[in-house]
Amino acid sequence: MDMTFTSPSLWPAMPEIFLLASVCAILVIDLFLPPRWRHLTYGLSLMALLVTAAMVLRLGQGLEEPQVTFSGMFVLDRLAVVLKSAALLVTGAVLLYGRDYLRERQLDQGEFYLLTLFSALGMMVLISAGHFITLYLGLELMSLSLYALVAFNREQSASSEAAMKYFVLGAIASGMLLYGMSILYGVTGSLEIETVASRIMEQPVGSLPLLLGMTFVVAAVAFKLGAVPFHNWLPDVYQGANTPVTLLVGSAPKLAAFAMVMRLLAQGMEGLAGDWRDLLMVMAVLSLALGSVVAIAQTNVKRLLAYSTIGHIGFLLLGVLAANPMGYAAALFYVLIYVLMALGAFGVLILLSQRGMEAETLDDLKGLNARSPWLAAVMALFMFSMAGVPPTAGFYAKLLVLDAVVDQGMGTLAIVAVLFAVISAFYYLRVVWQLYFEAPINGSAVVASADLRWLLIANGGLVLLLGILPDQLIRACLSAF
Amino acid sequence: MITLSHYLMLSGVLFVLSVAGIFINRKNVILLLMCIELMLLAVNMNFVAFSRFSGDLAGQVFVFFILTVAAAEAAIGLAILVILFRGKGSINVEDLDVMKG
Amino acid sequence: MFQLVLFYAFSAVLIGAALAVITARNPVHSVLFLVLAFFTSAALWLLIEAEFLAIVLVLVYVGAVMVLFLFVVMMIDVDLAALREGFNRSLPLGMGVVLLIVLELSVVLGGSGFSGKGGPVPLPEGGSNIRALGEVMYTQYVYPFEIASVILLLAIVAAIALTLRRRPGRLVQNPGLQAKVRPEDRLRILKMPSETRD
Repeated sequence: MDMTFTSPSLWPAMPEIFLLASVCAILVIDLFLPPRWRHLTYGLSLMALLVTAAMVLRLGQGLEEPQVTFSGMFVLDRLAVVLKSAALLVTGAVLLYGRDYLRERQLDQGEFYLLTLFSALGMMVLISAGHFITLYLGLELMSLSLYALVAFNREQSASSEAAMKYFVLGAIASGMLLYGMSILYGVTGSLEIETVASRIMEQPVGSLPLLLGMTFVVAAVAFKLGAVPFHNWLPDVYQGANTPVTLLVGSAPKLAAFAMVMRLLAQGMEGLAGDWRDLLMVMAVLSLALGSVVAIAQTNVKRLLAYSTIGHIGFLLLGVLAANPMGYAAALFYVLIYVLMALGAFGVLILLSQRGMEAETLDDLKGLNARSPWLAAVMALFMFSMAGVPPTAGFYAKLLVLDAVVDQGMGTLAIVAVLFAVISAFYYLRVVWQLYFEAPINGSAVVASADLRWLLIANGGLVLLLGILPDQLIRACLSAF
Repeated sequence: MITLSHYLMLSGVLFVLSVAGIFINRKNVILLLMCIELMLLAVNMNFVAFSRFSGDLAGQVFVFFILTVAAAEAAIGLAILVILFRGKGSINVEDLDVMKG
Repeated sequence: MFQLVLFYAFSAVLIGAALAVITARNPVHSVLFLVLAFFTSAALWLLIEAEFLAIVLVLVYVGAVMVLFLFVVMMIDVDLAALREGFNRSLPLGMGVVLLIVLELSVVLGGSGFSGKGGPVPLPEGGSNIRALGEVMYTQYVYPFEIASVILLLAIVAAIALTLRRRPGRLVQNPGLQAKVRPEDRLRILKMPSETRD
């Protein structure tokens, strides 16, 4: 019997280990806390996320070659460092944004924070996956926590309904992913992403089983991203969940889903790029069209932002389907900027939701300038950035993606994308119009605690700053591939 | 002799039946959950067959983890179902109509 | 040859059970047919010597998950007639599509291109399937093993957080306090002069 097993190096996985240990500690501490000490759970959770992010960044310093451990199950490369640190910081910001909202509605139970931490851990596992098994487990750890979080507001039937839809469609997508993986495993005889990639290269072109497996995987990935025609869950989940949960579902998991695209399509199925590119192209155009046209008819801001997300996913897919490092870097830049903008836009909605009242419809935004000029200015900034108006970061994000697409000789596709971007600018500007040129329906002043105000201003400032000085982030994105 | 294609066809039929079940039982959430279980069974059948016929253990290890996750998934899915039923008194998909647009 | 006969017999039962799951009129019947499907699958896995997973499927899956399903189905009172409306109309079309997709899949999956050829790979002399899996589970796959345990922990936390109702004013017994009760707490003996009836 062969017993030559050396224990794996734990060092690259230190952040994950720390986060897991913190989750267990917080779980036990929370059990013995009296209700009025609940803010301690919040503080500890936030601290755990920040320390983990710092550890990821520390590990990433001077990282040249990817570090692989746990028999190839875990990969720490520069892409993982960028995405993991961003996902952790964004999750931390979500907790900050949601704090007062949850406290006012007595939803700030320990389980809420624990589920958020579990989903952050799932994202980290998914982002660092070097093997189909860890990719699947990370995805499920993240998704299962999110389903539970969406259902968390038990008083509202809309949230349990949204959770049920999300759960059923998500579980079907996982089934598709697994079926696709099983076919790929059958053809290549391996589950390790790197080995799968090299064995696919050896296969004859147009191998039917490979194409079948790839199609299932692409469909599952499209569902997790929310690309048309797998987008049905997005508007309902965004609307039905509590705004802080919507904020979470709409931000950090997109980074993890992007990592999934990179690990599965760009790395694992590099040899099939010519085939998945066509599928992505169809989905990108459909997403752009649906995201820009259907959003015009929405009166609920959360639904509007959901359709806007679908449009942004279309742009993200454009970067991916360029299928070269430049395109991947553009897509990474796009997803980072998108997450920043979504964080801010939902953050404004959370701030506007007062005790016993949810700010959800466009009417709630009317005349915001008269009620709170700075909040209106920040919201307008996010809307301009989502529309892609210079000098905001959203402009550079769109520019880089289009550049990558044109570079691949797909000029028509770029023109179509610009066309839909112009159409979508219409409803973003309509929101700005509501902010400034309509009379407020609810004239009360907006109350926000100082730290939330500063967080929102910092968030808006970052969107503006990255639009004026994007070089550093672009370089970081380019170096990840 | 039993060959790999025997098992692949069987799991293919199972998978298609589960997808068909999802389409014809769109109205009943609990049957949807059962169809998802059937789908995972088809996937597991694939993995076990590939693993045994190629002599590579990884596939069987994956099935072990899929079974674990499916158990957790069922627990959470049924918990959501229970709170949905408490709130609405029904699990008919057509009654899930709070959100439109 | 005998194995092939067994394979076909079990396959027929499995496909019949799967069909019954998706078409049964009563959800309780569906759950029971699903149990049958899992049992037959376990038998099919035994045929190609995947003993460990076959046993896990019966013990863990049928023993725990299916019982959970049955429990929930029985607990919530489902209006059967409403759920089956329009079912018969979509059934023939559905079955037609199923046949078509199965034919297409048979073209893709029946052809070559997969790594396994011939029969199942024989196990080494004196080795067993369970032993082989056990050897890799805690070495090569220790990382996913830990993640799987985290997922189970998450399921516990989530299921409790979602379904546990802390209703104020609910009457509950505290057995600890009940056990600590002394006679003096319940019964007070008054000393009073005897009174005579007039």
